[in-house]
Amino acid sequence: MLSQILEGMSLALHVDALLGIVIGVAVGQVLGAIPGLTASMAVALLIPFTFYFDPWVGIPMMLGMFKGSLFGSSMAAILIRTPGAPAAAATVLDGGPLADQGKGGKAMQTALAASVFGDTFSDICLILASGVLAAIAIRFGPGEYVLLIAFSLLTLASLSGKSAWKATVATLLGLVFGAIGLDPMLGTERLTFGQLDLFDGLGLIPVLIGVLAVSEVFMQMGKPLTHLASKTVEFSAKREDNRLSWLEFRGLLPCLTRSSVIGTIVGALPGLGATIAAFLAYNDARNISRTPEKFGKGALEGVAAPEAANNAVSGSNMIPLLAFGIPGDVAAALILGAFLIQGITPGPVAFQANPVPLYAIFTAMLLANAVNFGIGKAFIPLAKRMVAVPKRLLFPGVLIIASAGAYAIRGSLFDVQLTLVSGAVGYAMLRLGFPPVPMLIGFILTPILEKSLRQTVLVVSAADGWLDYVLSRPVLMVLLVLFAAVSVMMLRKRMQFVRQSTGAGDLASDE
Amino acid sequence: MGVRKPIGALLAGAAMMLTAAGALAEYPDKTITMVVPYAPGGGGDTFTRAIAEEAKEIFGVNILVENRTGAGATIGVGSVARSAPDGYTIGFVSTSPVVLAPNFSNVPYDPSKDLTYLAQFIVSPHPFMVRADSQWQTFDEVLAWAKANPGKLRWSTAGPRGAPHIATEAAFRKEGVEAVFVPMKGSSEVLAGLLGDTLDAGVISDYAVPMQAGQIRVLAEIGPRPIPGLDVPTYKDKGYPMTPTIFFGLAGPAGLPDAVIAKWNDAMAKIVETERFKETAKRLGGQISFLPHAEFQPTVLDDIASTRKALVDLGMLDKK
Repeated sequence: MLSQILEGMSLALHVDALLGIVIGVAVGQVLGAIPGLTASMAVALLIPFTFYFDPWVGIPMMLGMFKGSLFGSSMAAILIRTPGAPAAAATVLDGGPLADQGKGGKAMQTALAASVFGDTFSDICLILASGVLAAIAIRFGPGEYVLLIAFSLLTLASLSGKSAWKATVATLLGLVFGAIGLDPMLGTERLTFGQLDLFDGLGLIPVLIGVLAVSEVFMQMGKPLTHLASKTVEFSAKREDNRLSWLEFRGLLPCLTRSSVIGTIVGALPGLGATIAAFLAYNDARNISRTPEKFGKGALEGVAAPEAANNAVSGSNMIPLLAFGIPGDVAAALILGAFLIQGITPGPVAFQANPVPLYAIFTAMLLANAVNFGIGKAFIPLAKRMVAVPKRLLFPGVLIIASAGAYAIRGSLFDVQLTLVSGAVGYAMLRLGFPPVPMLIGFILTPILEKSLRQTVLVVSAADGWLDYVLSRPVLMVLLVLFAAVSVMMLRKRMQFVRQSTGAGDLASDE
Repeated sequence: MGVRKPIGALLAGAAMMLTAAGALAEYPDKTITMVVPYAPGGGGDTFTRAIAEEAKEIFGVNILVENRTGAGATIGVGSVARSAPDGYTIGFVSTSPVVLAPNFSNVPYDPSKDLTYLAQFIVSPHPFMVRADSQWQTFDEVLAWAKANPGKLRWSTAGPRGAPHIATEAAFRKEGVEAVFVPMKGSSEVLAGLLGDTLDAGVISDYAVPMQAGQIRVLAEIGPRPIPGLDVPTYKDKGYPMTPTIFFGLAGPAGLPDAVIAKWNDAMAKIVETERFKETAKRLGGQISFLPHAEFQPTVLDDIASTRKALVDLGMLDKK
């Protein structure tokens, strides 16, 4: 056992493997920072070459690339409000305002610390509890997914009192946008108006870039020219605005831990992915915050939560892959391809016979986190220099980058149009006071929710009644109890809130 | 096109002669674009990139692989169908966008008129599988159980309305089996559904890895060829109405010059013998099966016609 662990570690600590990690992380951060270019694309291009690599260069390189790109995409999200990859979309919400306040440096340091924290947390979960988590994850069928997503949507509605109806409307709007495309059951077209481009539904990246980045460009256009000419993305000269102090980091720990747990759970479940994890963590951080009104105006938690969660996915999405050979997302599918090239078949049998590759992977992942931190530290000052231009130059640049990024995904001009239209929709929502986050979460979750719901109906139809189905699935029962408990809690909170705001009753909440 | 003015006709004729002369002179003499209608990293993409690497060396020109994804691969295939028939734009094709999709949606090409099918290089087995610890040892046992328990057998494929779905549905109807098809997206989801007891059976191409891991048992094959090394019946043995071959091949727009077709056929015959290509096929679980244009073209056209007929007979076609 110990000798195998040491052998695995030595594979990952070999100089070639370390070089692979360093190159992978560096390339990943750069690609992540460029909207429209993703680590998945780079890895797909690399796959033919890994044929000639030693496996213990290629695989650590890929692991490093995915981890690096998750952090890299947050830099673009903070500095130019354009998520470098969908996973960093939620980071824009508070990263952008922080940069406006001259705290772009602080925001990036927070994102880096959170990314490395989430990564490490998730990797440790993978190493210590892979078997347990895998056994639970594989018990997640359509019914469990429905509850999980319904639960997420429920917490969306628990926003601050005044705009609850606006948040609900925004969520519903997101649900409608998410329903465009082929019917998941019959394969018939819905809301496509005969447009072949709408066949696969609205692209995630164009919608995210449009609603978050382009809408901001439109907002800036409406401001007086003097504002655009004078202000740049400035970095405050104060030291504390450019770093994350230990004290602040300690204050963020509860939020980081919760977000990492969310990211780890989402990553262990096939088919959800880093973008969903980031939004759910952001939403959760706002729900538990004592100062939820600060969110969207530059709350550090608003950067820390999504960044911890999206990186946590990169560790735990290896759980279904290593345990069952089932890739949970694109990144895991590409890593699976790299394993297969080298004659390693991930799955329940492979690592029982020879666990050495497993220990090598674990070591490489932990090393990649450390390297990610080091290279990130060096990259942040460079990123600062890149955006030191006046706003009137930067924002047209953002528009070009957003369009190019949307085009790069699949070389479709339709996606560029969609980005601009999404920008207009986002702008209208901002002007009318509808929060864009619930809409985006609704949009991202709808396809999975609908598919799972309809699958559940079918699977239940094959069981002996629905009660039989529920009782045969322990995970589902646990989720049902949790769901009910949280619903009741939220209702009580809401009642309290209504009573307080109408002056009826004097339930002084001691929370 | 319409009627042109004489000058235009002359010019067009001259241009055509020039390009024809150019094509005859020495195809290829500039960069060739290979369109992959699927996302980077998938099977179609991986195969095309492996072919492009080898073809670069054979032709001595640069080859650009472009992913044009969307609408179940029909956007990419459509862009190949609409490109100039000069041999500088060709694409990857597979069963779904050519044989099936045009029956169900308004695709921007006619698969029997607008494409030249250059060569087939892979056939991909799609076996019918159950969990390894399930009660069924043979396909007939599954059928018998499903007949005795109508509406109880839960099964799925990597996508609704793909060939595996329709062929298996046709088989069930012929056997008088009533089963519940649970639509899923991608073979990973089907495998997870099998292992997590959401499904009883699945029809997907990724069978080798879970089979070696002892997770699943293969009971039948939907295509006409038996799976090498496995003693399971095919849908053809059982006399079912649809026994689709899931093929991977290359296609160009209609009206490709013979010189281009010949060049690609010679190149592909060499490529499928290379180490790189064999390795790729082994990894992705496809069987190498080379068919030159002369055989591939009629086979595909035949598949298109017979699938259409089967769909009409099954009452699964909502438009003529």
